[in-house]
Amino acid sequence: MSNKVAIIASNGGLFDAYKVFNIATAAAATEKEVAIFFTFEGLNLIHKQAMQQLPMPEGREHFAEGFKKANVPSIPELVEMAQELGVKFIGCQMTMDVMGLTKEDFIDGIEVGGAVTFLEFAKDASPSLTF
Amino acid sequence: MEINKVLDAKGLACPMPIVRTKKAMDTLESGQILEVQVTDKGALADLTAWTVAAGHTLLDHKEEADVLTFYIKKS
Repeated sequence: MSNKVAIIASNGGLFDAYKVFNIATAAAATEKEVAIFFTFEGLNLIHKQAMQQLPMPEGREHFAEGFKKANVPSIPELVEMAQELGVKFIGCQMTMDVMGLTKEDFIDGIEVGGAVTFLEFAKDASPSLTF
Repeated sequence: MEINKVLDAKGLACPMPIVRTKKAMDTLESGQILEVQVTDKGALADLTAWTVAAGHTLLDHKEEADVLTFYIKKS
């Protein structure tokens, strides 16, 4: 049985962030080795400013109240928890270059790498997930 | 049954009950028992699965009012 979970985060909305970080923290808390590859809009999820106010899908803004009522942790809280549990964050170098971003634009503790960095990690991971 | 630690995770949503349980379990020694109290309905299946995946033993669980209580023995 694989002890690794590999996740690709390629979308940058609030719902996407919850999908990514809930699975990642749950897996890490279940003794899995977890890596997330953030690419294209997915980079928003670990961008210092963007992650503080990720957008809801259009027309779904009313869910904000539901999030509060369900006592769901904020994205910055989930990110901190994920890092504390040892989840590895890999920022996609190519997307960062395209968007004119550097490592300093992102939260501390991330790695920057290319597709092969992620593929090497994911080759014996199960499951591999894409969001 | 001698409980070594009680975790109050009531009112917390997924994945927090699991994360808190993991952290509480890390502070115990092999053979000790953790009591976990949650109100997240998903935790019934989730904590049961977590216990198996983490290699611990679910000794018992009960449901009273809206609170689910689990007794987990550390492996």
